Amino acid sequence: MSTAAERAEQLALVSRLKTVYPEVPEWPTPDEISHSHWLAYMKTPHDVGGELDYPHPYENKEEEQWELMTYVLCEVLAWRGIWVTEERRRIGNVDVGRSIYLGLPYYARWLWSVGRLLIEKKHIDWAELTDRLVEVKNRYPGPLNGRRPEAEPKFAGDGKSVRRNQFHIKAVGLGDPPVFAGTADPAKFKLGDRIRVRDLPAMFYTRTPEYVRGAEGIIAEVAYESPAPEDETWDREDAKSEWFYIVRFRQSDLWDNYTGPNNDTLQTELPERWLEAVNV
Amino acid sequence: MSNSDHDHDHDHDHDHAHKPMVDEITDFEVLEIALRELCIEKGLFTAQEHRVFTEYAEQIGPTPAARLVAKAWLDPEFKKLALTDAIKACKEVGVDWLHPTGFGAPSDFMAFKILEDTPTLHHVIVCALCSCYPRPILGNSPEWYRTPNYRRRIVRWPRQVLSEFGLELPGGVEVRVEDSNQKHRFMVMPLRPAGTEGWTEDQLAEILTRDCLIGVALPKPGVTNNVTPLVREAVRPVTA
Repeated sequence: MSTAAERAEQLALVSRLKTVYPEVPEWPTPDEISHSHWLAYMKTPHDVGGELDYPHPYENKEEEQWELMTYVLCEVLAWRGIWVTEERRRIGNVDVGRSIYLGLPYYARWLWSVGRLLIEKKHIDWAELTDRLVEVKNRYPGPLNGRRPEAEPKFAGDGKSVRRNQFHIKAVGLGDPPVFAGTADPAKFKLGDRIRVRDLPAMFYTRTPEYVRGAEGIIAEVAYESPAPEDETWDREDAKSEWFYIVRFRQSDLWDNYTGPNNDTLQTELPERWLEAVNV
Repeated sequence: MSNSDHDHDHDHDHDHAHKPMVDEITDFEVLEIALRELCIEKGLFTAQEHRVFTEYAEQIGPTPAARLVAKAWLDPEFKKLALTDAIKACKEVGVDWLHPTGFGAPSDFMAFKILEDTPTLHHVIVCALCSCYPRPILGNSPEWYRTPNYRRRIVRWPRQVLSEFGLELPGGVEVRVEDSNQKHRFMVMPLRPAGTEGWTEDQLAEILTRDCLIGVALPKPGVTNNVTPLVREAVRPVTA
């Protein structure tokens, strides 16, 4: 149980966590938000390519047992048709918001996404999760002294009434994206075509990085057919597939004042909806 | 856990200033255990399925990737296969991308390409949106590969970032950044370095470090370690 002083101390900690631009007050009035600020708030926080940063030392890290268990938890849920990877990537990398995205460890976000998924899809309710958190914590009072925390399920459910996706059955023996081969309309672009990436006001989820939007490049490979991440992420199994392309850009076209040689390039993969032809 | 394990951990704490002194169960552990228990009780998956995937995850690592490139350096026919059907080539070094679910490790998909360096082209991989990485053949990505710092900067200042890894490339070599942010996974096939004439596949595999296959280093006779020796230790590391 927390005391009034402990509650005040925690509130002081939370008050220092900044989530807004310093030049705009919290709870701004509509006239205080420019279009650029709007776009910045709407930008999906996982899209960090090209943001300013300074050199940090590159470190490896030994894996925590709970980190491995978290990875396995996420993958087994996909194996058994509870979600697809694109749902996980949205919930854990975007829906978390910028504070958690930048403020918590990598696998903490994977874990957060599982809790969110299970409640949103009604596999568990809020009280089941909350009660279990209290119960697990109470099993390990004080220092662990070398003990390792273990999962102790009370029983094994038969899972018969669990809603699962079709994907995890259809994809067996093929994998993803081969399972979608032959399901898109003919490819609009071919190898060597010049294209421009559309500058769309993307909200909520996309995997088209901001740094290529509006830029011109060439098709380096007609890659595969798949539903776009913008559909797949919302568990839309009826989503129509489209062609994906590996697009090659000249670095000097992507970045203002690129200082490397003129022939440096960057390639990334984009779904057809984001591309438009450039007439040369 | 036995007393000797406890003593071992205790000594460890004094040896490494980096290691946080946390001995209570962490919030992450509580949440992971609570969620896993609820999943099993609801029948979302079985404890057996969880064990099968854990065993799969524990055995992945960079060894087959190094072997694949070494083999390709020695055998032109295999190299052709590696560059045109990388998933098939992986089978020859014991990696089946459909494992362990029958449709692959879900987050790694089933679209793998090997990028061939030439005397005038150098590749380096990144996932600017998360941490996409050819996990089935190269194991888990290193921590630095996942950081916003590497992801922010490599796409825009590749030569500067490579130089921080000790890799300076001449202007005549095109640097190509491969931002693998959808379903394709990529790995670099570097050039075979001078001074390795007559080497066996085992010898060649030894200098094909993980960092060479990401593209932040070049293979070099005598160098068998990754670039950075810094390792942050875990509080309760994965039990082998």
